[in-house]
Amino acid sequence: MKNSAVLVDLTKCIGCGSCTVACKLWNDLEYSATGVEGNAHGFDAELDQNSWCVVDYEKVTNQAGEEVLRFAKHQCMHCLEPACRTVCFADAITVSPDTGAVIYNPQKCVGCRYCMIACPYDVPKYEWDKIFPSVIKCQMCENKVAAGEAPACTCVCPSNALIFGDRDEVLAEAKARIAADSNYVNYVYGENEVGGARWLYISDVPFEELGFPMNLPTVPIEKPVHNFGKLQPAVYGGAAVILGGLGLYTRRRMKIAAEKKEKGGK
Amino acid sequence: MKKLRDKKAMKTAPEKGQGKFQVTRRQFFGVAAVAGSMAALSGCKTVDKIGGDSGWLPTQYRNSANWPVTVKGRVPIDPKNPCIVRRDDACILCGQCADVCQNIQTIHGFYELPVKDTFVCIKCGQCSLWCPTGSIQANSHIEKVMEAINDPDVLVVANTAPATRVSLGEEFGMAPGTWVEGQQIAALRELGFDVVLDTNFTADLTIMEEATELVNRLTTGGTMPMMTSCCPGWVNFVEMYYPELMPNLSTAKSPMSMMGALVKTYYAKKKKVAPSKIFNVAIMPCLSKKAEAARSELNAAGVAAGDETMRDTDAVLSIRELAYMIKAAGIDFASLPEDKYDSLMGEGSGAGIIFGNTGGVMEAAIRTGYYLVTGQNPPANLLKLTPVRGLEGIKEATVEIPGFGPLRVAVGSSLKSARQLCEEIKAGKASFDFMEIMACPGGCIAGGGQPRTLVPPADSLREARIETLYKADAKLSREKRLSHENTEMKTLYKEFLGEAGGHTAHELLHTHYVDRGDSFVASNGGEW
Repeated sequence: MKNSAVLVDLTKCIGCGSCTVACKLWNDLEYSATGVEGNAHGFDAELDQNSWCVVDYEKVTNQAGEEVLRFAKHQCMHCLEPACRTVCFADAITVSPDTGAVIYNPQKCVGCRYCMIACPYDVPKYEWDKIFPSVIKCQMCENKVAAGEAPACTCVCPSNALIFGDRDEVLAEAKARIAADSNYVNYVYGENEVGGARWLYISDVPFEELGFPMNLPTVPIEKPVHNFGKLQPAVYGGAAVILGGLGLYTRRRMKIAAEKKEKGGK
Repeated sequence: MKKLRDKKAMKTAPEKGQGKFQVTRRQFFGVAAVAGSMAALSGCKTVDKIGGDSGWLPTQYRNSANWPVTVKGRVPIDPKNPCIVRRDDACILCGQCADVCQNIQTIHGFYELPVKDTFVCIKCGQCSLWCPTGSIQANSHIEKVMEAINDPDVLVVANTAPATRVSLGEEFGMAPGTWVEGQQIAALRELGFDVVLDTNFTADLTIMEEATELVNRLTTGGTMPMMTSCCPGWVNFVEMYYPELMPNLSTAKSPMSMMGALVKTYYAKKKKVAPSKIFNVAIMPCLSKKAEAARSELNAAGVAAGDETMRDTDAVLSIRELAYMIKAAGIDFASLPEDKYDSLMGEGSGAGIIFGNTGGVMEAAIRTGYYLVTGQNPPANLLKLTPVRGLEGIKEATVEIPGFGPLRVAVGSSLKSARQLCEEIKAGKASFDFMEIMACPGGCIAGGGQPRTLVPPADSLREARIETLYKADAKLSREKRLSHENTEMKTLYKEFLGEAGGHTAHELLHTHYVDRGDSFVASNGGEW
């Protein structure tokens, strides 16, 4: 699927953590000692170098003012125009032509960690304990999806909270669900965040309560970088011309001054 | 060595005119070779394919899209669940837990989403029994128990549930259903338990209280049909899914909780031990009993002693935990001599024995109910009530009791059956006066704390365990098969409790239930 996407309907999540286990099984990841009892789901679960996908349990207040238990799945959002790719000078992060997923290539990575600073969702993690560390993040099961299957996490969800499909269809489904049920917050998280993501969320509690970063720009990070970057040749070229001219001028003046001195000295 | 010597020589005797440390070409290449091979060994990885996917998933998840799959994912488990814990690193997403929870117990999938503020679980522990990798395990009380055993000031009391004595042997290579009552007592004593009592004793007591309550309800027009209340998973189920039927539940506590209340009152008084110095451990075939023991209202002995924080039952060990302790202590279980229960609360009737399987509580209650109504012991045909025996989900029978008429009874095992019977009651179509439910299919002999077996537990295995219980009951003399003929229990009533259903009995042996219907939104199953 070229334009793949996943809809996460947070109202459907029961907090079983199947997706986190599927991710570990399919990607052969270790269980962290730092996780919640070693698990990648639970209260205060966070992405780390062994966990590409976590489910964070949150006690939050819903729109009706009741305290409820909600489960927020976190993984790489797979931006349409990823900031991590923009900043990566080693070309280690690319957008897959087959699936649209944002893929990290450890063979090209030089370990500068610019991507970790650039990511608006704080997703990439680093293997601090390794001599030659890699950056760690969800690859959206690139090879599984390219082979015509769905990502591991979406295959195992028992309550259909994760829906894999074409991004346009998934987005339409998200909007249809919101329109059909007033309990949903009228917002599709990931639709426009930093230019849009391939993981789209809908929820019945405000996203900020679930720890999602809000007020992100709607344009991709690449845009302002490009706006600035495209001026660079002119700026540098202009600077070279001006400074070069000044240099020539100064040299010439010094030469004349030296000649005068020589004449005067004689 | 040579290199070191060279280095030293260079440091102490610098070559003329230079005065600096020099690296020879040979040293440089030596260091480079070591560093290079270390780097190659430790990290310079070659990746076959980028994009993850270096692992494995069960075949049902290797599909093209969000394809319908019969067994998918797993059940959610509250990190604070008092009965079970899950180790994710052992989970293979086989889906067995979700299968039993959804299709046998009708819990998983039987509530509306989004959830409210709890994980929906009736804590039967079947998921733990079905889990083939041991990912879902009992919330262990072993440490707590060992601490008490190692404390010389504490009197550690164990009581063993009926169904434990026909399955513990399986953990030590014996055939399913092997009778190991004596060895179990001996093993407990060897582990350091000071007193070993029989939960069958309080099973008889439960029957006395429950049958008295049934006769009272029948004669005074109480809420009918009456439902048994020994099974904590079933009680949780009623509190959550059918709170409107809570008045139908018998108020009698379960045998384990009656034992807890009496060990720290009657037994403590008789043996002149301070209740606070007693640590009461229940050996159960069940994981739900851990949640039952933690229920705030089950502190009758504490209330009587003026310390409401004192629990009636301090710890609950499942059979799997007990087997682990026996193995860890290096006890050769098979060669243990058969031991006997301690007196005062160690006598149990045949009726108490069959509490461990589906239909057993009903049969025991009918035996004593017959006596309470007619004043005579039941005839031989009531001592083998075939219609309520066996693994079938729902069994019904009618028993003719002289002077009363027909008593219609229903027996359900598994919560799917329970749901069906509850719906009948709600619709006013119940054709029975008394209903027994055990949450686990087959009853306690296939409880969540039983030794791990085939998945799902084979009928042949469950039948073997049931058969042993019925045989143990059948080989006893007529009097020994009736709860109300338990001599130690008669002494208890005479010296301590007064009459069945009386004031003291009510305070210690009866309880109340809590409506938990608004902690979630129930549904009748279907697509989530």
